[in-house]
Amino acid sequence: MLKRIIPLLLVIFGSTLILSLLLQLLPVGLKDLYIAPGDEASVKEQLKSLGLDGNAFTFYFHWLNDFIRGNFGYIIFPGGGREPVSNRLATALPISIRLVIYVQIVSLLVSVPLGIYTAYRAGRRSDRVISYSLFAAASVPNFVFGLLLAIFIGVKLGWLPPLGYVDPSENFVEHIKTMILPVLSLSIPTIATYSRLLRSDVIATLREDYVTMAASKGLSNRRILFTHVLRPSSTTLFTSAALNMGALIGGTLVIEQIFSIPGLGSEIGIAIFSRQFFALQSYVAIIAVGYVLFNGIIYVLLGFVDPRTRERRNA
Amino acid sequence: MRKLWSTFNLPTKISVAWVSIVMFFVVTGSFLPLPNPTEFDPDASGVGLFSSGHLLGTDINGYDLLSNVVNGARISILIALISVGVGGLIGSAIGIASAYVRGKLDIAVNLLFNILLSIPNLVLGLALVAILATSADPAIPIDPNRRVFIIIFSLTVIIIPILGRIARGATLSWVNREFIVAARSMGMNDRHIIFKHIVPNVLPAIYAVIFLAIGVVIVAEGALSLLGVGIIDGVSWGAMIGRVAGDFTYAPQSMYVPVVVLALTVIAFNQVGDHLRSQLDSREGKI
Repeated sequence: MLKRIIPLLLVIFGSTLILSLLLQLLPVGLKDLYIAPGDEASVKEQLKSLGLDGNAFTFYFHWLNDFIRGNFGYIIFPGGGREPVSNRLATALPISIRLVIYVQIVSLLVSVPLGIYTAYRAGRRSDRVISYSLFAAASVPNFVFGLLLAIFIGVKLGWLPPLGYVDPSENFVEHIKTMILPVLSLSIPTIATYSRLLRSDVIATLREDYVTMAASKGLSNRRILFTHVLRPSSTTLFTSAALNMGALIGGTLVIEQIFSIPGLGSEIGIAIFSRQFFALQSYVAIIAVGYVLFNGIIYVLLGFVDPRTRERRNA
Repeated sequence: MRKLWSTFNLPTKISVAWVSIVMFFVVTGSFLPLPNPTEFDPDASGVGLFSSGHLLGTDINGYDLLSNVVNGARISILIALISVGVGGLIGSAIGIASAYVRGKLDIAVNLLFNILLSIPNLVLGLALVAILATSADPAIPIDPNRRVFIIIFSLTVIIIPILGRIARGATLSWVNREFIVAARSMGMNDRHIIFKHIVPNVLPAIYAVIFLAIGVVIVAEGALSLLGVGIIDGVSWGAMIGRVAGDFTYAPQSMYVPVVVLALTVIAFNQVGDHLRSQLDSREGKI
């Protein structure tokens, strides 16, 4: 277990350090941006509270120390007013996480039957047509679907709101309505990727002897596919669902911009335009840390889905 | 070459044709008899597809969309080719060297790749461009050429770990085969072994992924524009999308023309890459 955790921590440490050092490459000094003019004592006090009183590395450790304690830095207004970044995160992060979860659920719900069906029909006409469409759909970036859906369904047909976000606590039906187009545009490429992976794994599993055995025992095709074949075939699917989280988070940023959803992506956009680099640093660090931890958890969970991977790891 | 063509199925042939058309535009774009992409037509703002003089219509300001798409191919594809070329070269060099040397260097390189891959590539690109393209004075935007350079640099950084990891993995699978051990026992020096025996075997794996990487970069360029940090002045697919992102209800063709062209190009590059990879797999299977 320790052997897994140490590289994980090293990666988190390294990625946050790189982000922190990146801020040193800014064409403007952080001091010039965020230190309000004042007498010597107040300037010194400001430098100290922002961790800018030392070199690049002391700045990083100051940031890291705060980050671990749940203090994600400040948004600093001209004149010296401050708002903790955690305030913004408290509203933005749940929205983005909700979006990603919806996308993963929808994608898995659609891609599992689709992958099994195309594998079962492998080589037939219906499989070829679906498989080629899936390949094309997997290559199309999600913002393309986002923009096209916004134009045609949102604006031209007017069936669904082309932009905006309603919180589920306010109006659940409206919430679902505003989420359909963003979730759909993120899901289409994801569904395509997942079903293609599941298809090739199911085809491989169908060649196993125990499947022939189950068939000769007279089990129904549906029973064989869903109870005997799906589970051993789903390892790659789960691994890539975890890895795909990265692409999905990147996609969420763009989709949030297109549909004006006030999630993390929009906050990052605001941070860039209003030059809030402390906030930007913490936002990106949260994404990186979340992504790494999530992958670590999935890796452990995989051992339960497919015990074969667990044995291989211990060997 | 002829042999390779005979392995293509219909979708791959269509993809190769599309990639060739796009490459033709990249080379000849500015010489074709098309309206100037940066000059607007005051008599035709927001006209639809197949209008006279504007085959793909114009956007809300009267810029000709066909001309913009054709000329935009140059910057979009060049950005992709340069970042994938440079990033691929650096990444493969690091990957091959570390897998060949093994030991501490390899552990360090692997950790570095993992760190870079732990930040989703679009987020890393966004952070890099946002930080590097900040102008000292908020009132004066940075020089457009410098911006293009920063975008290429950031996308190169994204590509390095992706291709580096592929090169490292491929090298690891070759470095212990008998012919390498034999070459070494015959007294061949490391440089010779790497360039004569390892590189030729690793290259096919890299070729296949390069096409996929070009797709990644084209998408990233478009996404950066939507996020507001892409190319602003100038002609590229991303710039076209970014320019009308906030307001496409009046002239929707100004949005879907560049978006569809971008999507088709990415599909085509991916299809070619995927085909090369499957060819490679069957070749590996025979060994």
